[in-house]
Amino acid sequence: MSARRIYFVVSILVLAALPWLIATPYWRGILVLCAMNVLLALSLNLVIGYTGQLNLGQSAFFGIGAYVSTILVKSYGWNFWLAAVAAVGAAGLLGLALAAFAVRLRGHYLAIASLGFAVITYQVLVNWENVTQGVRGIYGIMPPFSHPAALFYLVAGIAVLVYVLIDNLVRSPVGDSLRAIREDEVSAASLGINRALWKAFAFCVGAAIAGLAGCFYPGFVGTLVPDAFNIVESFTMMAMVIVGGMGTMIGPVLGAIVLTFLPELLRGFGELRLMIYGIALTLVVLFMPGGMVQAWMALRARLR
Amino acid sequence: MILRAKEISKSFGGVRAVHNVSIAVPENSIFALIGPNGAGKSTLLNLLSGIYQPDAGSLHLEETNLIGLPAHRRVRLGMARTFQKIRLFRQLTLLENVLAGFHIHQDAPFWEYLVYGDTGRFREEARSLLAFVGLEARSGERAGALPYGQQRMLEIARALATRPRLFMLDEPAAGLNAAEVDFLLKRLEQIGRQGVTVLVVEHNMDLVMNVAHRVFVMDHGEPLFEGTPREVQHDPAVIAAYLGGEFAS
Amino acid sequence: MVALGLTLIYGVLNQINFAHADFVTVGAFTAFFTATRFATKVLGLPDTGAYLLSMFAALGAGALLGLAVNAAVFAPLRDRGDELRPLIATIGVSVLLENAQLALFGPIPYQFDSPFARETLRIGRIFFSAQSVLVVAVSAAAIAALYGFMRFTFLGKALRAVAQDRETAGLMGINPNLLIALTIVIASALAGMAGALLGPVLVLSPFAGASVIVKAFAIVIIGGFGNMQGTILAGILVGVIEAFTVQYLGSGLIDLVVFAMLLLMLVLRPTGLIAERKEENV
Ligand SMILES: Nc1ncnc2c1ncn2[C@@H]1O[C@H](COP(=O)(O)OP(=O)(O)OP(=O)(O)O)[C@@H](O)[C@H]1O
Ligand SMILES: [Mg+2]
Repeated sequence: MSARRIYFVVSILVLAALPWLIATPYWRGILVLCAMNVLLALSLNLVIGYTGQLNLGQSAFFGIGAYVSTILVKSYGWNFWLAAVAAVGAAGLLGLALAAFAVRLRGHYLAIASLGFAVITYQVLVNWENVTQGVRGIYGIMPPFSHPAALFYLVAGIAVLVYVLIDNLVRSPVGDSLRAIREDEVSAASLGINRALWKAFAFCVGAAIAGLAGCFYPGFVGTLVPDAFNIVESFTMMAMVIVGGMGTMIGPVLGAIVLTFLPELLRGFGELRLMIYGIALTLVVLFMPGGMVQAWMALRARLR
Repeated sequence: MILRAKEISKSFGGVRAVHNVSIAVPENSIFALIGPNGAGKSTLLNLLSGIYQPDAGSLHLEETNLIGLPAHRRVRLGMARTFQKIRLFRQLTLLENVLAGFHIHQDAPFWEYLVYGDTGRFREEARSLLAFVGLEARSGERAGALPYGQQRMLEIARALATRPRLFMLDEPAAGLNAAEVDFLLKRLEQIGRQGVTVLVVEHNMDLVMNVAHRVFVMDHGEPLFEGTPREVQHDPAVIAAYLGGEFAS
Repeated sequence: MVALGLTLIYGVLNQINFAHADFVTVGAFTAFFTATRFATKVLGLPDTGAYLLSMFAALGAGALLGLAVNAAVFAPLRDRGDELRPLIATIGVSVLLENAQLALFGPIPYQFDSPFARETLRIGRIFFSAQSVLVVAVSAAAIAALYGFMRFTFLGKALRAVAQDRETAGLMGINPNLLIALTIVIASALAGMAGALLGPVLVLSPFAGASVIVKAFAIVIIGGFGNMQGTILAGILVGVIEAFTVQYLGSGLIDLVVFAMLLLMLVLRPTGLIAERKEENV
């Protein structure tokens, strides 16, 4: 317990120091992106890592959060924070809609249904031009704080809060029930666990968190186009969760950090960059199926 | 009578797995359900526990109508079960498996868990259930790593965590060695003495003859005979069913 | 045809191959370079001959890729009984292939001229390019051949046996691993050939496959995973619906309509057009 406290305090200190250690505007931007990716990876991990639901549509909720908050601010003049609350709510509701499929479908069927869900969301963003401006995009979006360090503190602070809450949740009896559904739905039902309810819960919370991450994205980039929420984004989030170690708390965080910074560090390699990314993803799945967390545990066991 | 099924039926495609079966399980008894392979015993258990819904018939737990009630709701009424093909949470530890069984007794709202995390509320009770089935020493291991016989016992502990009034077991002795069967037999009797009604599907006749108060025999999806273990042993129709159809007169 | 390859793999392996569509692109590129560089320039074949040769080259390229992916990804992951990881691994392979092609061929789309694309046929008042007729004809032939193979040959029956019950098939002296490898190779070769056929129709760029794959999944689901007749039917159905959408709603909405149909289908008949509903055996 006290060891956890120490880790926690050290992480907070490192987070506080980061924007001053890495002080160029470009790298501060990457830090913000990284915090956002951590949020996304945490949200997806709750659904696939703990509840075992193959969800390839997480990019849709990210996009909903981004579009709803931006449109409310730009077209209706809402206050950013109010708009963010509405956006999170909208994403959560849409999560419930996808959960309706998850209740009836399993495994690959759910994977494809969620993929279809993301494609439809993307197409709506492209085609509903009156509202979303379609592929032309929305420009000149302001972040809630213009100073990159402040924006980083905000998003990272939210990421830490979300981490702590989810960590509590998965250690609690709720976590037991979600894992039970992941391991075997029929047995879970035989113990009185209402799988429809808890799947809906996981999808809704996961979607809401992704929507929350989405609220900060447009202001950070300054523009909003549908392509940012292509299904490829779902794959990227999935990669973060897997590479880090799904079904663990710290894994997706590490995965998000590594997969945010790795492509940046590989920029020198030009087109080979994404190739390396592809190879890395395949190799991780093949040789360390539990991701970085498992690799670390194996290493530690060997050193003992 | 704690459980009453009237003329329930279930078919899969063309196969009549259970056909017009009526069954009444007396409270506080150990009730055995036997029959040759494919007789429809597991299907009947699945109908009783809510995994399947019957095509026809009525089903009551005391006064409560069970028809249309999903499996997880029946657990709250006091019905628990184990599976013929073991279904544990293989990646979870023994303790986590049993803790998941306490789900219906966790009554705090979820935001409390968001703030406080692990409450450890049923931990002691879970440990004593593991001790009851002889597994307390391995409580931190993964369920999938247990030997077969112990997996069956863990499934029993997990189901008991729901604190059932009616406990249904599907072939709990399958794959157990003689010593394990003996242990299981003692535990079943003990569960029965604690006021839990036990409904057990079993092929192991030693076990059935030793623990059951009443025995219900099925064949080809239909009821064949019901009586005390002694009566069943001497019934010609039952003997014929077990020897194979061609010997039936 | 792409969907058919996917369904074949799914039927036998219970695995989704996300890289499948990239086999199509690789096939298209192979065909392109065989036809335009190798066959005409080196061998001095006439255009038509070069194109036909290129189709076989694409077939071979697809088969080789299939072999490689099976050896690298599916075979090692097969017995872990995990749905997610092989799927992710194929996403990795897909990213790898797309970007390898990007590095080799650049992002600018190629114009793949097949001799058939230049000619048009006329039936009544409607004009078809000979290429689209070729696409339909060769697809139909390939589908018929595959169907006949699965139904009537010993190997096809063995494949279906493996699809139904891997362990029992193994006991009957069928080597499931060999057959699974064979399936992937057949399916991948189909994808390669589809690339050669579609190359002149689509815009030939490294990401061309990605746009096809999601739709192919929709077709596979609508037809019922692993069900060949269903897939063929669904392929036709989706084609017709796309044509109607273009006619009445505009081409921008194609994906929207197809995927709305997919979700509807999943709610109404989760096991596909043809298959009947099964209850899980507990
Ligand atoms: N989900 C299902 N789908 C199709 N057929 C089924 C299903 N479940 C059971 N059956 C069929 O119903 C019949 C009865 O099966 P059941 O499993 O109830 O028998 P059983 O008495 O439990 O046999 P055993 O002693 O072998 O466990 C069998 O013919 C079986 O094949
Ligand atoms: Mg049975």
